[in-house]
Amino acid sequence: MSSGTADDVVQEVDREEVDLDDGIVRELGHDEYTPIGTLVLVAVYGAILVFMWTFMYFVEFLNNGPTVVG
Amino acid sequence: MTFIDERPEVARMVRLNFTISFGALLVGGLFGMIQALHRTDVFRGFVNSQDYYTVLTGHGVLLALFFTTFFLSGLFTWGVSRSLDEPLPNATATKGWFTLMFSGATIAALTVLGGFVPSMPFKADVLFTFYAPLQAHPLFYVGLAMFLVGSWLSGLDWFRMYRSWNKKNPDKRVPLQTFMALTTMLMWYISTMGVAVEVLFFLLPWSLGIIDTVDPLLTRTLFWFFGHPVVYFWLMPAYFVWYTILPKLSGGRLFSDPLARVVFLLFLILSTPVGYHHQYLDPGIPSGFKFVAMTNTMFLLLPSLLTAFTVVASMEHGARQRGGKGYLGWLRALPWDNPAFSGSALAGLMFAAGGFSGMINAGMNINYLVHNSTWVPGHFHLTVGTATALTFMSISYWLWPQVTGKRLQHRRLAMVQPYVWFVGMTLMSNALHRGGLAGIPRRTAEPQYNNVNFETMVGSVGELRLQIGIGAILLFTSLFMFLLVMTGTWLVDRRGSIAVDGHIPAPLSGPNDSPTILDNFRVWVVLAIVLVIIAYGIPLSSMVIDGPLSPGSPPIVPV
Amino acid sequence: MKIHRFEKAWLAVSLLLIVGFIATVTYGAVGEGIEMIGDEGEEVDPTKLNEHPKFGDPGVEKTGPNEYAVYVVASQFQFTPGSFGNPIRVPTDANVTFYVTTKDVIHGFDVAGTNLNTMAIPGQVAEVTVRFDEPGEYGILCNEYCGSGHHGMEGKLVAVPKSQYEGGDGE
Repeated sequence: MSSGTADDVVQEVDREEVDLDDGIVRELGHDEYTPIGTLVLVAVYGAILVFMWTFMYFVEFLNNGPTVVG
Repeated sequence: MTFIDERPEVARMVRLNFTISFGALLVGGLFGMIQALHRTDVFRGFVNSQDYYTVLTGHGVLLALFFTTFFLSGLFTWGVSRSLDEPLPNATATKGWFTLMFSGATIAALTVLGGFVPSMPFKADVLFTFYAPLQAHPLFYVGLAMFLVGSWLSGLDWFRMYRSWNKKNPDKRVPLQTFMALTTMLMWYISTMGVAVEVLFFLLPWSLGIIDTVDPLLTRTLFWFFGHPVVYFWLMPAYFVWYTILPKLSGGRLFSDPLARVVFLLFLILSTPVGYHHQYLDPGIPSGFKFVAMTNTMFLLLPSLLTAFTVVASMEHGARQRGGKGYLGWLRALPWDNPAFSGSALAGLMFAAGGFSGMINAGMNINYLVHNSTWVPGHFHLTVGTATALTFMSISYWLWPQVTGKRLQHRRLAMVQPYVWFVGMTLMSNALHRGGLAGIPRRTAEPQYNNVNFETMVGSVGELRLQIGIGAILLFTSLFMFLLVMTGTWLVDRRGSIAVDGHIPAPLSGPNDSPTILDNFRVWVVLAIVLVIIAYGIPLSSMVIDGPLSPGSPPIVPV
Repeated sequence: MKIHRFEKAWLAVSLLLIVGFIATVTYGAVGEGIEMIGDEGEEVDPTKLNEHPKFGDPGVEKTGPNEYAVYVVASQFQFTPGSFGNPIRVPTDANVTFYVTTKDVIHGFDVAGTNLNTMAIPGQVAEVTVRFDEPGEYGILCNEYCGSGHHGMEGKLVAVPKSQYEGGDGE
């Protein structure tokens, strides 16, 4: 039966049952895992957002000719 | 055991919904390619420019309403049944809402297609937004109303299944997939009030001649009451996939169940009181309420930004369980040859870009720059067009075998398909964004004008047109590849195992680590309604107080 | 509820971004003086625009020492004035207020290459004030689908150097 209720303890998957190689070579529990790669990626994304927003607002928008002032 | 054997009636409803969804995808996608080739002047031989608007209406209605909603209905029917381990509450009721949705969609679609045949009285060349005073044939509004009511009834199934489960499990947290389906539907019920009132009280009687005029600003405002939250009706099922299935496909576990719940509740409360950001440049709406809509919209970025972290962290977990190492090297350890994974991952990546153009769209005064330009379709082809559409296609590679019992066919085609979509959309969308900044308008059959020479900052208009044309061809090719895989899979006989593992491991942080108030739907529904009243109460009242049909416009049927 | 410290950091960054976006837009309003179209325009009867004192005879008129008003009626498929060899002519270095409405369906009034972009909704008047600092010629586009001739709906706007401007007779 597939795991549905999320308050179950981690179920060990019987690997022989599955004929699909899921590629897992080790198990990382909650306390053993640190999402450092995610931190790097979201930091880069945040930097891109700041740059793109500033460019769009102060270069593209404010330099786009007459603007509604009233 | 495969899902089709555990729950054959549920699997059948999933198959039915997906089949209609894929049918709408085929026709709507074909129309999209025709449009792209036509407006760029690469090829204008499919239709003339007047019929372009029929094509455009079909593209919007078939894809943004039918492809998306039928897929959601199939996906949530599966997810609720599976996560609760419950059967359908009443097979007749389920077939009833499906038939209502399907009939309504067919009627609406046929009226749109009638626009191609001059001798037919049915037509609806009014685009997906059907703004008055443009008027469609009454059957268009009838079809939409039937479709909408059917969708309301679909949610009832899932609430009943939840109630049945809850009686047996009074102390347990709502399983995440069901939580997501129910909060999505609660948001849907609140948000569709706008378009339901618009169609049932105004546009339908007006199209039947029962009332002579409608107030275009009021009806437009009621549309956008619905028109923004509908995008979350498209996004939340994609998030459903990214949160509950993508971690497993990555070889890992969901990083945080509680945060997923918080995200969906934020969508429930914030999706609707933002609709004025589609009307920033409309007269007749006080700018103070536009500012309120802006701040609400900006805070609506939060659930998506949080999702970026949780989903990527879940994928990283899988990559590291698969042996990945380093700050970024782990990306290589992900199963990029599994199209259910790669499509969802690429969809998420594109959504990050689409999220940015959405931030600009939210930015009130910067809207003067982008409103009604091709920047807008550039944005939404990244969001509904990729985050939603590509996720739906790719997760079908994982789900279709489970609900048909058949092994996925044409695996090599499936493997390549998401990448073709990604490349096609990169070309088309970047060109649409840049074209919008040059001032090129959207929703226009021939954006080539006597009085205007559009100027791009880098590149040229010619190069933009080429990217849009090539991109569109690649997108349709990708879509066709997907349908070949689905059809091929459906046509083979059942034989042995399906080579898909339907098991989903528990999250790293489970729901018991979160406050139980998150599962108390009533609290959040009340809060959602309060926020809607604050955002819309006064401006809507003032539009109605001066006469709900006034200032009134008689109908104008587009030629 | 346990939130990983990295995610808490990202949450803080996200909130900062959101506040930053709102602050930027506010700067645009307060610092650069950009105003949103509001409900200052009057309500009109779209079926009786011909009888309206201003929209019945749309065009440019001088309303003050350095102030002009331009009344524009959008319709299927033209701008009046603006289309068909009748460009809208306004002076530079003056406050020009456009009053835009429509006699039939919803149209857009978009001066391409500028931030002068608004909707024309039957029954409503969009009131927008701009200043042209430089002379130039602009195309006006309809950017809201309005029927089968939508793609042909365009006009012209000319900003004439103030010293050479003679106009504002409303014709």
